[in-house]
Amino acid sequence: MPTSTDLLQGTLDLLILQTLLPGPMHGWGVALRIQQISKDVLQIGQGSLYPALYRLEYKGWIKAEWGNSENNRRAKFYRLTAAGRRQLDSERETWDRLSAAIGLVLGRTVEAPR
Amino acid sequence: MIGELLTRIRFLIFRKRRGELDEELRFHLEQSIAVKVGEGMPAAEARRQALVEFGGVDAAREECVRQSPGWWLGTVAQDLRYAVRGILAHRWFSAAIITTLATGIGLNTMVFTLVNAVLYKPVPVPGGDRLVCIDNHSLAQSDRSGPLSYPDFQDYRAQAASFESFEATSDEGGILSESGNPPHRYHVARATAGLFSMVHTNALLGRGFLPSDDHAGAEPVLVLSYDVWQERYAGMASVIGRQVRVGGDAATIVGVMPKGFRFPSGVDLWMPLTPTADLAKRDNRQLRGYAILKPGVTMRQANAELNGIAGRLAGQFPADKDLGVRVLTFQERFNGGNIRIVFLLMLAAVGFVLLIACADVANMMLSRALSRQRQMSIRTALGATRWRLIRQLLIESVTLSTVGGVLGMGLAEAGIHWFDLSTQTIRPSWIEFTMDFTVFGYFAALCILSGLLFGIAPALRSSKPDLAGVLKEGAHSVGRSRGGWITSALVVFQFALTLVLLAGAGIFVWALLNTLSINPFVPATRLTIATLQLPESRYKDADARQRFYDELLPRLRELPGVSHAAIASDGPGLGANRQQIELELAPIANPAQRPWVTFVPQSPGYMETIHLPLLAGRAFNETDGTAHHEAAIVTRDAAARLWPGQNPIGKRFRLYDNKNKATEWIAVVGISANLMQEIQENDPRPLLFVPYRQEGWDNMAVVVESSTDPLQAMRTTVQHLDPDLPLNDPSVVKDALEHQTWFLRVFGRIFLGFALIALLMASVGIYAVIAHAMNGRTQEIGLRLALGATMRNIMLLVMKRGLWQIGAGLVLGLGAALPAAHLMASLPFGMAGSNAPIFLVVALCLASVGVFACWLPARRAAGLDPVKAIRYE
Repeated sequence: MPTSTDLLQGTLDLLILQTLLPGPMHGWGVALRIQQISKDVLQIGQGSLYPALYRLEYKGWIKAEWGNSENNRRAKFYRLTAAGRRQLDSERETWDRLSAAIGLVLGRTVEAPR
Repeated sequence: MIGELLTRIRFLIFRKRRGELDEELRFHLEQSIAVKVGEGMPAAEARRQALVEFGGVDAAREECVRQSPGWWLGTVAQDLRYAVRGILAHRWFSAAIITTLATGIGLNTMVFTLVNAVLYKPVPVPGGDRLVCIDNHSLAQSDRSGPLSYPDFQDYRAQAASFESFEATSDEGGILSESGNPPHRYHVARATAGLFSMVHTNALLGRGFLPSDDHAGAEPVLVLSYDVWQERYAGMASVIGRQVRVGGDAATIVGVMPKGFRFPSGVDLWMPLTPTADLAKRDNRQLRGYAILKPGVTMRQANAELNGIAGRLAGQFPADKDLGVRVLTFQERFNGGNIRIVFLLMLAAVGFVLLIACADVANMMLSRALSRQRQMSIRTALGATRWRLIRQLLIESVTLSTVGGVLGMGLAEAGIHWFDLSTQTIRPSWIEFTMDFTVFGYFAALCILSGLLFGIAPALRSSKPDLAGVLKEGAHSVGRSRGGWITSALVVFQFALTLVLLAGAGIFVWALLNTLSINPFVPATRLTIATLQLPESRYKDADARQRFYDELLPRLRELPGVSHAAIASDGPGLGANRQQIELELAPIANPAQRPWVTFVPQSPGYMETIHLPLLAGRAFNETDGTAHHEAAIVTRDAAARLWPGQNPIGKRFRLYDNKNKATEWIAVVGISANLMQEIQENDPRPLLFVPYRQEGWDNMAVVVESSTDPLQAMRTTVQHLDPDLPLNDPSVVKDALEHQTWFLRVFGRIFLGFALIALLMASVGIYAVIAHAMNGRTQEIGLRLALGATMRNIMLLVMKRGLWQIGAGLVLGLGAALPAAHLMASLPFGMAGSNAPIFLVVALCLASVGVFACWLPARRAAGLDPVKAIRYE
């Protein structure tokens, strides 16, 4: 099992929003999807997943509705709102800029000692 | 932004139900278990692993709840509920705190309402917040403010761009007369035609001024105030168009202004200011400027602009040399100087009362902090943070102070009403003692700040419990020594402030007692006084005036019930004119160094009328004051000051008027007993009497001693001689004297009230502290008694700390009271003089009340039964 990678502050929100982009999903599904897509690198602790979902909901970026799961159990589905979509765009942009910048910095410092 | 706000509000109202969250988490766990079972794990093991993976379910649930934007509000509401429950549970304790705070906050709200009305609140006319007054002042003598001349006013108005409108009024007295109505003297304002439209006020009846009314040669018109209309014309609408005379000149009444409108201040009649040759002189300054600033223009900008214009005019006209301009608020113009000092003193005094109240309450809360320590320890042990405890305690204090404040508001309303009634006859009509938003803001700030002020020390103290110590049963004396110094400091502080307040009140009361006991020989209740203003149009010179007085006096003396009648410039104790004096054989070259005296021109018989004894020499006769018969009578005090150690009779002096012109040499013919003529004066000058023929003034007072009310008969007598001559400002001398001292009476009472409340609070405070300390030491005292301590030992033990605190408070208080007394002595209300006896009396008074408050618990301690005391829990 890979060592747990601590998520950067605020990155969890980005991941959740991105995961919800294709369509509504319940909390379990979100956790599962992030784990699958990241090839088990990112395991979301449930202790932080649900508070994050609630926080996003209070901010109005996602919206919760009760519905039926695949195996016909009552479950809460989260859906991206228009505001959430805008937030996702802006956070992605920020992330791209940030990761590019970090890449640049790392690229130089890695080469220097050789 | 708004969307987010709406979301927040929505979630605040529709709270998430607990059940939903639980169901969601349960679903998650079930899914997790299902997956693990699907992978072939036994059900029980799958469940265990799923739970381990999830982490603490309760922690997650708590964390989810905390994401809600209004989450903390819920805990505040919880604290608030808790505070209310605590307040209700300790009913008497809370009632004591709330009463103390209601007094403190109520008094402050009341005084702030008054201060706000007198010093800051915009004048209650439309655009009042931009209304300013414009005065000239001399650049050479920096502190002298004065009126404007008409040409200067016109130049300012034409050139200044800062103002929406700019008008001017004169401020004069005028006699309104017509056939069938007795003449009456009124306060007349001659104003430029735009005065009424500047403050957006229309006439109630008829019209105000037309723009053409102040042009040269316009028909003279007159506008009445509501009160004059009601009192003189019984509110008849037919008054419009009536022909009257003002100061002998014809005018037509064209309008009546609405009730309460007296703009700028206390005006009865308005007439247009029509230009005359006299008015066109640049050195004839008798107008006051009033203007509305354009929106966005500050007073500073307007001031700079006008001073620029004045500077240019000063270069052009010699009369305007060294002339500056001042833009003032209404309050600065009318309520500057001493009024300002007194109202700010009053605000400081109630501020002290509130501080004393807060100190009292803080001590009460501190004493309870001790008994609360167990409760706090339990909460801390259960995981409450210190911040949470402090917050809860502060919410409790602020709740207490708010409840107290709301009750105090009722007190404030009552106080304002009382003050309103007490000053009704004196204050200008534009001052309205009502609350506005500023007052409300101040009130709200007081409630919260005083809650925090008295709450912070007890909250810090209670929230820092010694966990292990307090939770142990029976450790009931924990923390006394540590918290003690705050309590002691608070008591010392209270006594110091109380002493300052008592000293201030003492000075007022002392001054009041002094003024009440002056001139005991004057039969003030039987003396009636009224003034006459002989108009120049009918009484051309001193001879004409003297003929009138000569005819009037014998007739007055013959009125039924009248025992004496005389004419004098001013009644006894009602002020007088001043002039500079020069003694014969002692010339003073520099006019500025000549001493000043007060003098009262009078008819023969005046001294008998006011029952002022003649000590030596003779009284005035009918020839005194005619040419070559210049005479004077001096009081004993004046004689001692002007001719120390000599007999003044036969000595000669002369007086200088304000144009530095000397009179003839005047010979002293008699010495009278002392008379206090200027009661509102810190530094009374020597008092002289001169015969009225010597001065020939047109403005004199008639003084009549009578066993019945002589006013009607006096009026008839005067009108018999001159139907157009009113008898002005009639009053009984006693009332006139009281009018002079209204200030001392009203403010003396207020300051005394504040000081007594402070005294009560401080003594209750020290009593509570000593009694509480004694309670905590009951066992110890019992032990000491059992071991043979005497009553004296025990009393000393209990009282020692109290006595020390009283002593320290007195010393600190005296240090602070001295500058306050110094400030008060500068007010011209006879409050100068030695304050040492006052300080001694109030300090003794405060000390004895304080010692008594300590003695009560000490006596109880000394009377304890040792057996019971040792078992006391």
